Amino acid sequence: MSDTVTLILNALTLISILMLVGLGLAIIFGLMGVINMAHGEFVTFGAFTLSLLQTAGGNYWMALVLAPIVGATAGFVLERSIIQHLYTRPLATILATWGVSLIIQQSLQLILGAGPRQGTGPISGAVNFLGADYPAYRLMLIAFAAVIVAVVIAMFRYTRFGLDLRAVIQDRDMAEALGIDTRRVCTIAFASGAALASIAGVLIAPMTKVIALMGASYLAPSFFVVIVGGAGSIAGVAAGSAVVGGLETVLNYEVPATVSQAIVLITAVVLVRFRPRGLVPS
Amino acid sequence: MTSVDQSLPRRTAWPKGWLVLSAGLLVLVLLYPTWTDPYSLTVLRDAMIFALFAVSLDYMWGKSGVLSFGHAAFFGIGAYAMPIIGPMVPTANAALVALLAGVAVAGIVAFVVGYFLIFGGVRGPYFTIVTLALCLVAQHIAIGWSEMTGGDAGLIGAPPFGIEMFGLSYLILDSVEQYYLVTAILTATLCVLWLACGGHYGRVLAAIQDNEVRARTLGYNTSGYLLVVFVISCMLAAVAGALYAVVSGYVAPDSVGLLLSTQVVVWVAVGGRGTLLGPVIGAFLAIRLQQVVSSIDFRLWPLVVGAFFVAMVFLFPDGVLPLVRRWMARAWGRLVPSSGAR
Repeated sequence: MSDTVTLILNALTLISILMLVGLGLAIIFGLMGVINMAHGEFVTFGAFTLSLLQTAGGNYWMALVLAPIVGATAGFVLERSIIQHLYTRPLATILATWGVSLIIQQSLQLILGAGPRQGTGPISGAVNFLGADYPAYRLMLIAFAAVIVAVVIAMFRYTRFGLDLRAVIQDRDMAEALGIDTRRVCTIAFASGAALASIAGVLIAPMTKVIALMGASYLAPSFFVVIVGGAGSIAGVAAGSAVVGGLETVLNYEVPATVSQAIVLITAVVLVRFRPRGLVPS
Repeated sequence: MTSVDQSLPRRTAWPKGWLVLSAGLLVLVLLYPTWTDPYSLTVLRDAMIFALFAVSLDYMWGKSGVLSFGHAAFFGIGAYAMPIIGPMVPTANAALVALLAGVAVAGIVAFVVGYFLIFGGVRGPYFTIVTLALCLVAQHIAIGWSEMTGGDAGLIGAPPFGIEMFGLSYLILDSVEQYYLVTAILTATLCVLWLACGGHYGRVLAAIQDNEVRARTLGYNTSGYLLVVFVISCMLAAVAGALYAVVSGYVAPDSVGLLLSTQVVVWVAVGGRGTLLGPVIGAFLAIRLQQVVSSIDFRLWPLVVGAFFVAMVFLFPDGVLPLVRRWMARAWGRLVPSSGAR
């Protein structure tokens, strides 16, 4: 029983992180048709914010506040300087954002060194949860991610901005004709997606090595999330995260990590064949 | 009828320049070993292998408009097959057998992945992303499955190329012979692709790239065409990988890495996609530049690649060489005004 609980909690940890990273990616894709290859770097920014802040004497909670600001600023700059000019050229966006991603990775490595850094969580130790001893930090992570996702859903549903956003996703030209400033909506959505990824970076940092190249390892899984789940809706991201995160966690118990990644890839590819627009098409 | 033909732009006028250029290049490449030192020869030999890799991507990206970000995965399959399968064959045919096996594996992987993606309607950016993921997984396998691939340390022991038949055997060990072998394979590939894409087949691919729905409406099995392009392109990449494994004698996870996948896109982009010869020149130039930049600091190269992508998208979406050609044509037109009037 306790094994099952641990397994489910492990899966939930991964699913939470994938959702936070994938949400930004999916909304940006659904909204603007833009595939942002530099999205993983926002995760890196978040993790480095925590690590650098702690080195400088700050604490975890400060990082959790500061990271989304850093991420949103970086997202804003990227959107305004490059992506906004490439809305009609999806392939060009891939190349440009990939270039940005390389530049950020390598600059971080040159400036801050290639060696792994650390971030520490605010709480340590294990608590007993339904008969299983589980790290308290991971439980906090799951709860925190759930709150954030709830806030995002609420914003999507009940705010004026959420309404504008859904309108632009559905029909950009019509939204513009109705007086919605689509450029502004896109910029804000992009910056918010980047902020979410940065928060994910802070959450991940205490559980992994903080290095300049870490974003790349979250980029591919979060793309699987978007491909499997479908772009442009929160339900799609949730479904995609559940499939990818759940599958990978369960497989990691049975087979080596490389094999489980390969299986996740194959599953994603096969699912695409039968549901080309994702499990939950928008 | 004839008057209509004459009113159309003459198709033969343009490729003639390319023909002269490629013939000149070929003569240069063939004569190169007579005056150069052995080191420069190996550099050019390696550059030509990467050029073959670039051509394999250009066949797909340039001719049919489908960009793969995971082409290094297939390069890597070809490369790893050499030291893994080669030593199992005791004769001089070892490299040939391993090459065929590697190319076959690459073809099968490409067929399976390609079938699900292409017939699933995955196109454009989506396709690029999934192939990128494929490359990441391949890299993880190359690092993680160390019993088979040697892990981070890589593998040595790729057999030399050779042939054994009727009791006679011949091995290619000399670097000049390797150089000519690589030249022959690259030239043959270019010629075949050039001839194939110059005719009806090339125009079907161009139609698919322009507007796939319209091409399908005209009765072409566009998914089938794209799948064949993808499989052949991946097999060519595996050939390049196999050649690389043999001449360098060493295979490491770098040869399936994402950076290699990225670089091959750069080579094609520099040379101008869809020109086949352009990516060859692009590969030569970019590899030379990489040597120069890396001799200052090897960590600078990814920065240069990144900056190149951003610059390319805004400044020269058709590639660097086509831009240079346009400039030169304009300068030529200014120097000799009569040629413009003719």
